Amino acid sequence: MIRKTRVKGTWLAATVLAVGSLFATALPAHAETGVSSSEIKLGITLPLTGAASPGYNKIGNAMNAYFKYVNDNGGVNGRKITLIQKNDEYSPQLSIAKTNELVLKDKVFALVGPLGTANYTSVHKSVGIAKRGVPSLFLNTGFSGFGNKKTYPTSFMILPSYAMEAKIMAKFLKENYAGKKLGIVYQNDEFGIDGLGAFKAAGTKFDVSVAYTSGTQSAATAQTWVSQLAAGGAQVVVFFGVTSATAPLLAVAAAAKYAPQWILGSVGADPLTLRALGVPLAVLNGALTPAGNPSPNDTSDEYVKQFQEINTKYNTGTAFDDYVLQGMNIGLMTVQALRAAGSNPTRKGLISAMENKGSTFASVAYSPLGYSKTSNVGHTGYYMAVMDANGDRKPFGGKVTLYTTDSGSGPVVVSTFKRPAMPAKGLPNN
Amino acid sequence: MRNFKFKRALTLIAVTSLLSITVVSIPTAAQAAPACDGKVPVQTCGGATSDGAPYAMMVPANFNGTVYLYSHGYRPNVAVPAGIPGYGGYTVTNTPQPGPNATVIGALLAKGYGVVGSGFARQGWNADSAIKTNVELVGLFKKQFTKTTKVVAWGESLGGFITQALAEKHSDLFSAAAPLCMASDITPLMTMAGDALWGIKTFFDPTIKGGNYSAGAAGYAEAMGDLVKVFTVIGTLQAAFAANASAPAWPATSKVPDAIKAIPSRSALVMIALMSGIPMQSAHFDSTSAPSVLPVASQTSFILAINPAFAALENVANAAALAVLATHDLELQAGGAVFDNTTTDYAARIAEEQFIWASALSGNSGIGGLLSVLAASPRAKANPAAVEKLKTLTSHSGKVDIPTILFTGTADPVTTAGNQQSVVDKYATYWADKWVAARKAGDRKRPANNQLVLWNFPSAKYTKYTAAGAPDTSVPAATGTNHCNFTTSQYMAIADLLAYASANGKNLSGGPLLTKIRKAGNMTYDRGYSAPQLKYYGG
Repeated sequence: MIRKTRVKGTWLAATVLAVGSLFATALPAHAETGVSSSEIKLGITLPLTGAASPGYNKIGNAMNAYFKYVNDNGGVNGRKITLIQKNDEYSPQLSIAKTNELVLKDKVFALVGPLGTANYTSVHKSVGIAKRGVPSLFLNTGFSGFGNKKTYPTSFMILPSYAMEAKIMAKFLKENYAGKKLGIVYQNDEFGIDGLGAFKAAGTKFDVSVAYTSGTQSAATAQTWVSQLAAGGAQVVVFFGVTSATAPLLAVAAAAKYAPQWILGSVGADPLTLRALGVPLAVLNGALTPAGNPSPNDTSDEYVKQFQEINTKYNTGTAFDDYVLQGMNIGLMTVQALRAAGSNPTRKGLISAMENKGSTFASVAYSPLGYSKTSNVGHTGYYMAVMDANGDRKPFGGKVTLYTTDSGSGPVVVSTFKRPAMPAKGLPNN
Repeated sequence: MRNFKFKRALTLIAVTSLLSITVVSIPTAAQAAPACDGKVPVQTCGGATSDGAPYAMMVPANFNGTVYLYSHGYRPNVAVPAGIPGYGGYTVTNTPQPGPNATVIGALLAKGYGVVGSGFARQGWNADSAIKTNVELVGLFKKQFTKTTKVVAWGESLGGFITQALAEKHSDLFSAAAPLCMASDITPLMTMAGDALWGIKTFFDPTIKGGNYSAGAAGYAEAMGDLVKVFTVIGTLQAAFAANASAPAWPATSKVPDAIKAIPSRSALVMIALMSGIPMQSAHFDSTSAPSVLPVASQTSFILAINPAFAALENVANAAALAVLATHDLELQAGGAVFDNTTTDYAARIAEEQFIWASALSGNSGIGGLLSVLAASPRAKANPAAVEKLKTLTSHSGKVDIPTILFTGTADPVTTAGNQQSVVDKYATYWADKWVAARKAGDRKRPANNQLVLWNFPSAKYTKYTAAGAPDTSVPAATGTNHCNFTTSQYMAIADLLAYASANGKNLSGGPLLTKIRKAGNMTYDRGYSAPQLKYYGG
C-alpha cells in the first residue's frame, strides 16, 4: 500500500513502497488530490475519434450528462463533479500519455470508465495506477484478468467478464443449437482469447474459427472472414469483437447472401450503432446477443426511463442507445461510490467504499455485483436477447432469464437476483 | 490491411551517431604532472595519469573552487569499418573529454567552474579502470589547483555508470554526482544486447554469429562481419517497409519456416524490441499517430500496427551496433561467451507487453507463431567462467551518501530507462534499511534522501508526416528519445543542480526545483513514476 508523505527535501516513491506503514500519515480529507471544497475531478480515456470510436465516443458525454444532472441537484455532498475526457484513439501508447495527463497534470481524484483491454493494461502498468493509489472505477472492458484483485487492487470492473459471457453463450449454444455447425469470429488478442478460452473450457467446439487483428477490421478483411465461414458451412456464428468489426462482417455477409444465425457478443452488438455503420435492419432481425442491461428502448424500465429523461435534457441531440445507457449507469454508480466514500472523500476511502458497499449499489444491469474486500469483479451475468425487425432487443423466449457465473470453473446458473430499485429521481441517497 | 508505401521516408531513417567526443586542444604531457598553457581567461592543462590515460583540465581565471569531473560514454575498443551506422569510420581514441560538449564546457567556465576529464587508459567497457583513473585525476587536479574546494562528478551512458560508482565508492572525494542516461550493471546490459542480437539472428539471418567470438584477429573479423550482416538485415527491412509497410517481406537471409513468413516481418521486429526491453517510441516514431491523409479506418491500423514497427526498426538499428561491439568487447575481457539464453522463457518475458502491442505483433496468432520460432531455435550458451568473471566487475549497490541527480530519457533505446530505475530501486532499499536501523537505535529522524530522480518523457505525439502522408525522419529526434539526447539547457540545469547540491549538502527541492527544471524544458520530477524494470535483471 502506498502512502503519500512528504519528506524533508525530495521525496522518494520507491522508498515509501519499501518502508510501507512506517510512513503512514493521514492527510486532511479536503486536501485529497482532485477534491476541493466545491469540486471533484474525475477522468476518463476512451476513443473519441478513429475506427474504433463509433459508439464508444458516446460514453463520456453520457457520463457527463448524468453528472451535470447531479450537479444541478446539489452535487455530491455539495461538490460538483467535473469529468475530463481524453481521446486515446484506442491506442495503448496514447492511453498512457493521456492518463498521465489526467493523473499528473489535471490531478483527477479518480479514473472512471477507462476503456479498452490493451489500453487499460498498458495504463495500469506504465502509469502506475496501483502504485499511486489512484482509484480506477468501472472499467469499460470485460477482460477477466482485471478481476485479479492482487494485481489490480485499486481497479474495479463493471462489465461481466468476457469469460463469463462466453460460458453463458456456450450453455445457450448447447441447449439450443446442438448438432449445428458452429463458427466464431474473434478479436485476436486477450479480449477474444478470454472468450475463446472459456468456450473451450465449456466444451464448445467451433467448426470454423476466424481471428482478426484489432485495427484491421474493414469491408475488405470482412470479405475473407465471410468466405471462410461460408466455405466451412457454419450455420451458427458467434462474433466476439468490437462494433466496428461487427458492422462490416454483417454487411458483407448480407451482400453475399450468407445468413447464418448470428450470436453477437455484447461488446459489438449495439443495434443503433450497427445501423449507423450501415448494417440493414433486416440483417439484425433475429440476431441473438447476451445482454446485461434492458433494451435502451424499454421505457417501462425505471432506469431507462430516468436516463432517457436526463439524456434529453443534458445530452441534447444524442440518440439514446446502449452506449449512452452504459455511460449514464457508470455515472449513477460513480455518484454512489463517491457518496459512500463520505463527506470528505479520499482515494483510500473511495476504494474502501467500493469494497464494502459497492455490491449494494443500484445499477441498471440485472445481475449482482461482485465487489468485496477480496473481489473487484463487477456484474456477473447475462440474459440472452434477440433483435427484432425494428432494431430493438427483446429477451429471448419472451422473458428475462438471467444466468450468472464466474470467470473460472464455476457453473452457469439461472439467477433469481432482484436488482436494487432506481433511486428516486435517479439521485442516489446512500 | 491497407498497403502503406513510404518509399522516400524510409530511406531517410538514420542511426544517430553514438559517439560524441569533445576535442580540447591541450598541451601534451606524458607524465602525471600537468602541463599548463598559462592562458587567460581559461587555462588548459594536459597530462596523463599513472595508467597512461590522458586528461584535460580547464580552469578559468576566476575559478570559484568547484570543479566538474566528466566521464565520457562508451567508445569501442576496436576500429569500426566505415559505413556502419553510429560508429562507422571510428578509430580507437583516448582523447580526454572534460564535458558533454564545447557549449556546456564554455558555459561552465564562464560561471567560474573548472572542468576536468580523462580519455581513460582503455576503451570499451572500462568502468573498473576508469574509476581508478578518475580518483587519481581528482588528486592531481586538487594538487594543481589548490583553490579547489568541491568536486562534483557527472557523466553519460557508461560515464553515467562510472559516475554512480564514484559516488558509491568515493563519497569522500565528491560533494555531489549526476549519472546521466546511465548504463546498468554489465550483466543485465549484456543480456539485453544478447537478446536483441539473438533475435535478429534467429528471425532474419542465422549466419550472424551474435557472440562467442574467436580470440584475436579472427574474433574481430567475426564481430565486424556481424555488424555488416546486422545492418544489411536492417537495411533490407527498411526497403521492405518502404515497399509495403503492412506486410513487409522477410529478408532473403531469413530461414524461418514459410508458415511463419505469413506473419509480417515487422511483427518479428516488434517482438525483438519487446523481448530485449527496447522501448517502443523512437526518435521519429511515437507509436500513437497516423498520417491525417489516410482514411479513418486505416489511421487506426497505422497507429496500432505500423507506427510501432517503425519505432522498433529505428530503435533496434540504434541499439544494434553497440550490442555487437559491446559483446565482442566483454567477451574479450571475460575470456569467453557471456550471453546465455538456454533457460530464457521469452513467452514470459513478453507476457504483459503482448497485450499492449497485440496488433503490432499481428494478434495472438502472430505472437504464437513468433514465439514458436524462438522456442525451437538453438539457444546461446555462455562460458561459465566468463560469466563469473563478468560478475567480478564493478556493479552498483545503490548505496550513496552524497547528493546524486539522475536523469534519462524514458525512450532511450540503448541505456533504457530501466537502467536508471534499477539504481532508484537499490537506493530505496538502502534508504529503507538505514531508516529501519535508525529506528531500532531509537533515532526518530529520517535519514536524508540524497537521490533526485528526473525523467525526460517524449511527447504523446511527435511523428511528423509530409503532405503526402509519409513519415518525415529528417527532423531532429524527439525529446526523450534516442541515446543521451539532451539539450544544452538540460545539461546546464543538471550542472546548476549539482552546484546547489555541492554547496548545500543536499539536493534542491520544492518550488525552486520545479522552477529550475521547468525552465530547462522536458525535465520531469515525478515521484510516482517508475520506469519498467528490466525483466532480464531476473535472468
